[in-house]
Amino acid sequence: MLLRYPVLYLYFLRFAFSRAMEFRFDFFFRIVMDIVYYVVTFAFFGVLYLHTSLLGGWTLDQTFVFTAGFIFCDAIYMTVFSTGIWHFPFRINKGDLDYYLVRPVSSIFVLTLREFAANSFLNLLIAAGVLVWAIARYPDPLGFLPVAVFVVMVFLGCITFSLISVCFLIPTFWTTGHEGLRKLLYLVSDFSERPHTIYPAWIQRIVLTILPCALISSYPTWILFEGITPARIGHVLLVFTGTVAFTLWFWSRGLKAYSSASS
Amino acid sequence: MITVSRLSKTFHLHRKEPGLWGSMKSLVARRTIEKRAVNEVSFSVGEGEIVGLLGANGAGKTTVVKMLAGIIHPSSGEASVLGYKPWERDNRLRRQIALIMGQKAQLWWDLPAADCFLLLREIYRIDRKRYEENLERLSAVLGVRDLLTTQVRRLSLGERMKMELIAALLHDPRVVYLDEPTIGLDISAQRSIREFVQSYQREHRPAVILTSHYMADIEHLCRRIIILREGGIVFDGQLKDVVDRFASTKIVAVRLQEGATTAPDTGGLDKLGEVIACSREEVRLHVPRAEVAAASAHLMSTLPVIDLSIEEEDVGTIIENIMTKPGGES
Repeated sequence: MLLRYPVLYLYFLRFAFSRAMEFRFDFFFRIVMDIVYYVVTFAFFGVLYLHTSLLGGWTLDQTFVFTAGFIFCDAIYMTVFSTGIWHFPFRINKGDLDYYLVRPVSSIFVLTLREFAANSFLNLLIAAGVLVWAIARYPDPLGFLPVAVFVVMVFLGCITFSLISVCFLIPTFWTTGHEGLRKLLYLVSDFSERPHTIYPAWIQRIVLTILPCALISSYPTWILFEGITPARIGHVLLVFTGTVAFTLWFWSRGLKAYSSASS
Repeated sequence: MITVSRLSKTFHLHRKEPGLWGSMKSLVARRTIEKRAVNEVSFSVGEGEIVGLLGANGAGKTTVVKMLAGIIHPSSGEASVLGYKPWERDNRLRRQIALIMGQKAQLWWDLPAADCFLLLREIYRIDRKRYEENLERLSAVLGVRDLLTTQVRRLSLGERMKMELIAALLHDPRVVYLDEPTIGLDISAQRSIREFVQSYQREHRPAVILTSHYMADIEHLCRRIIILREGGIVFDGQLKDVVDRFASTKIVAVRLQEGATTAPDTGGLDKLGEVIACSREEVRLHVPRAEVAAASAHLMSTLPVIDLSIEEEDVGTIIENIMTKPGGES
């Protein structure tokens, strides 16, 4: 039964690549654009470390691992989830969910994943390369298991953030307008771009639980350097599971309020 | 197969006065009105039956279809499709229904239809043999076999609708909702879609609910119709009974002998019924059904008649009257 979804996803990938090849300019422009973004992000922390040796308790090398993890997650988000999530409110308002709701398949799965951004795929490979580079250049050996756990947690963090993005847009079912919600999402997502350790304790608690932006890269990096414990892994899994459950519940509430659009 | 009991749907709509001032006022104090789109409708549809759902714009046809397809939740009432509540969206039901909306596309714009069908095969878990047989048969009957590998956006509207039909029917649905499937199509494409639906329905006997603004669709495909007005059912019965029940008049037409220099006096004809046409060649009147014989006799005796015909009112006109006028008689 669950095997259906990977098979469906392979179809989405196939369709996405077929379409992306038709738009060559966009295909290459996105690569250039994202590389510039990666350089600026690293340069930002490089400049900060010209004035300090530690930031939130992290050295420049540790921050580079965090930044590489964030960039990797961002590339996954941009490639796998962002296009579907971007169109989400428009589909709700224009009544375009209709056909998704009559199909015997999870509507939230199709809506968030059907638009694989094939033109970002090379960026995903580049981001993975950057992550390997940041880990390899770290002065001390990190060990295979901690790195593997780190990568898995970054991946879970990315899914968690994507679900949060969906949750921010689900109120469109009731509010119709979505620009404010989208801006709020961008504002909240800013917390994922900095190490959570730089914030006061109460903000850390929020970004690690209710709005778990720190789970994207900051918390996995922190665990990588502070040590893996069952409690820390348990925290990530608990927040991830809670976010999945909440999103599905919220989505079903939204669908109850869905009014489609006049024909 | 489909049972609907006192199904209602109310939408909450914001009312805003026009202009910038109206926008500012609505920002502070918003007026919400309730619009009852569907009002306690009850009906049932059996296997192999095609029911035409008719109504003016905003009468609630599409809302009924969307509730029965499980797209929107009702405000009250019950419905059962193949034993399931449609808005609970049980996959066992969704595998047995199909929806085609003439105004919305389900196929991926940039891909050939054949690719979209492969995805649907996976979604509906159709085994390869049945899929290939169905695709071959449907594309042959609809005459689009050569277009399966053409990108959907390069197809004409008629060809696209045929692909939409294939997409909807690949999994052999037992219940089919057709929401204005011929809208915007030229006459020949409309006819071709109608003929296909008719032959498909004869062969597979699904329960079909059809909404359409084109009377030709309804007359061609539906024996039974349900007419909605302002969300409520005003008629549910056989199409042939509409005339008997709602047409209060018949059309009496006479052709006159050549040579007359002036048209007959309409003042005298007015007493027989409503004059539709009056010329040197022809007179046409709407005459109350009970007075047809007397009116015909009067015309025969007072005018130089060479031919007389008594016609039923056009069923489309009668239905249009039912849809728009309280009482509905024409």
